[in-house]
Amino acid sequence: MMSAQDTPRGPPPLPSALQERASQLFGDLRRQRREIITPEGVPVTVEIADYGERLVAFSIDFAIWTLLTLLVYLPIFLVIGRIGGSLIAISIALFIGFVVRNLYFIYFELAWQGSTPGKRVIGLRVIDRRGGPLLPSAVIARNLTREVEMFIPLGVLLEGGRSVGGAVDWSQLSTAVWLLFFAALPAINRDRMRGGDLIAGTMVIALPRRALSSDLVERAMQFTFTPQQLQAYGAFELQVLEELLRRPPSAETARVLDEVCDKICNKIGWTAPLPRQEVTAFLRDFYTAERAFLEREQLFGKAKADKYAQPAAPP
Amino acid sequence: MTQAADVIDEARIAGRSASAAGGRGELVLKSSEFRKGREEGWRELEKLVGRVERRGVRSLTLDELQQLPVLYRAALSSLSVARTIALDRNLLLYLENLALRAYLAVYGPRIAAIEGLRAFFVHDLPTAVRAARWHILIVTIALLLGVAAGFILTVQDEAWMTAFVPTELAGGRGPSVSAADLRSKELFAPWPGAAEAFGIFANVLFSHNTLVGLLAFGLGLAAGIPTLLLTAYQGLTLGAFLALHYDRGLTVDFLGWISIHGTSEIGALILLSAGGLVIADKILFPGRYSRVENLALHGRQAAIMGVGGVLMLFVAGVLEGGFRQLVQSTPLRFAIGISIGALWLLYYSRCGRREQK
Repeated sequence: MMSAQDTPRGPPPLPSALQERASQLFGDLRRQRREIITPEGVPVTVEIADYGERLVAFSIDFAIWTLLTLLVYLPIFLVIGRIGGSLIAISIALFIGFVVRNLYFIYFELAWQGSTPGKRVIGLRVIDRRGGPLLPSAVIARNLTREVEMFIPLGVLLEGGRSVGGAVDWSQLSTAVWLLFFAALPAINRDRMRGGDLIAGTMVIALPRRALSSDLVERAMQFTFTPQQLQAYGAFELQVLEELLRRPPSAETARVLDEVCDKICNKIGWTAPLPRQEVTAFLRDFYTAERAFLEREQLFGKAKADKYAQPAAPP
Repeated sequence: MTQAADVIDEARIAGRSASAAGGRGELVLKSSEFRKGREEGWRELEKLVGRVERRGVRSLTLDELQQLPVLYRAALSSLSVARTIALDRNLLLYLENLALRAYLAVYGPRIAAIEGLRAFFVHDLPTAVRAARWHILIVTIALLLGVAAGFILTVQDEAWMTAFVPTELAGGRGPSVSAADLRSKELFAPWPGAAEAFGIFANVLFSHNTLVGLLAFGLGLAAGIPTLLLTAYQGLTLGAFLALHYDRGLTVDFLGWISIHGTSEIGALILLSAGGLVIADKILFPGRYSRVENLALHGRQAAIMGVGGVLMLFVAGVLEGGFRQLVQSTPLRFAIGISIGALWLLYYSRCGRREQK
């Protein structure tokens, strides 16, 4: 199996670097991104889930398993509540909570391809960090580590809170530090891994669904452009133009397109008069011609990243 | 090999329309011809992947199941080609997203949850423990050294007891305690009843010992020395208690009393500490990886051992709460304790060995 660590890392391929820039401009890919390499050897970019997204997903799961625990616990409580005191009630609640939450997380992450109901609502998935298959042992390990990270120290803290008072209790303090450290861990490492992810070799990614829009390329062109005119821009400007043309029509979009059209006309020295109602048609034609030009140049090894890039000198 | 052939093939198909491009008025773009030829396959794949995401792999028919990897590889090669020939941002983002989703559908967990749990306990856990036998040996030596030191010091002067054992853990079992008290209040105290027993169980789970075990595990991150110190310190406590009972002629009864849950609890401590040592090992000797990378690559073994340790603590809790005071005869206690210890040993040393070969 290929892994990210085993393959040499060259400079990133041009299209992904471009997407990065266009994304920054439009702010539609705000998450951190990493590359994983599929077993077929093709690098694929994943978006790492935010701290906030994971917190929300966890809160949803937390609510669900608390409810489940209560459902299981209620009949037992009705029977035992009359016999025993509060200690036993708490103990049983803790025990059932332990069993329910672990079965809940492990079951769903195995059965639902690495997501739990909470993660599914938010659109998150657990994956193997090296691009391999998600193994049951990794799922079990990452979830049972949550006990160590959070629930057992929490239990100790609550237990101790009742019995000890007054002076500084070092075990309490260290437990609190422990909890804080593991809570902060996803925020301070770059892959947003919590302790369980670190140990199980997994990470949590956001998996939005992207739709394929229709191609903007025009078949029959009204306007023609010379290669000199098309040399004015690079791939980055082309993708920005694409993004603008894909915007839903509105007064605002029309205004921006008019503005862009004026700038392009200035830049490429387009002198022929252009009626307002033909702006969109003109821009689409320009997009088509520019894309055809730049794609051909790219195939010939003369990729042009943006308008500032100098075309490579012919050998 | 086939991958490369695919890409070349794709490029050739894409190149067919190359000569047509560049004309005036009637432009034919390679990238849009390329897209036209493949879009159907992508849409088909998107539909299948959407169903797998919503209802699982089982919702696919046999035909669709066979198609999934074929379409997935086609989409991957489309992605590779699109990256070199297309500048359509929407297309690139879509293909990247589709390839990732399909990859997760194809390489997602193939095992049902129950089967996965079974494989974990039958194979993964014992194998991970066996792989760490040297770490376990080192931890055991540290623990035994602690026991020996605690015993020797406390036998000479029982004042050491108060130094080794925190007051709230000692529960009145200090230098001044009498043999009769130890017999009636500790070793052969009556069974407190189901409710109390469960309380003890929960206390064990959320108690000092668990915390120590987990701390020993977690402190593996600090190069393992604190793990060993903590383990030896636990040994000191045990040795001190042993000496206290030895001085009052209760050695055999004490060992019986402690063996019933101790084989599980001490086993858990050893396993957790050894897991901590595994972590330390991966950090100290990362080989050809960076330290964090190596921990991520091999940390799973330590995590699995941690899981094993927590499970043993669970068993220890049940035994301590339920059985320890229910069984009042020392030989019977020895029988239970030793047989449970033997079961653990058998499980960790034998289970899943055949599947490995």
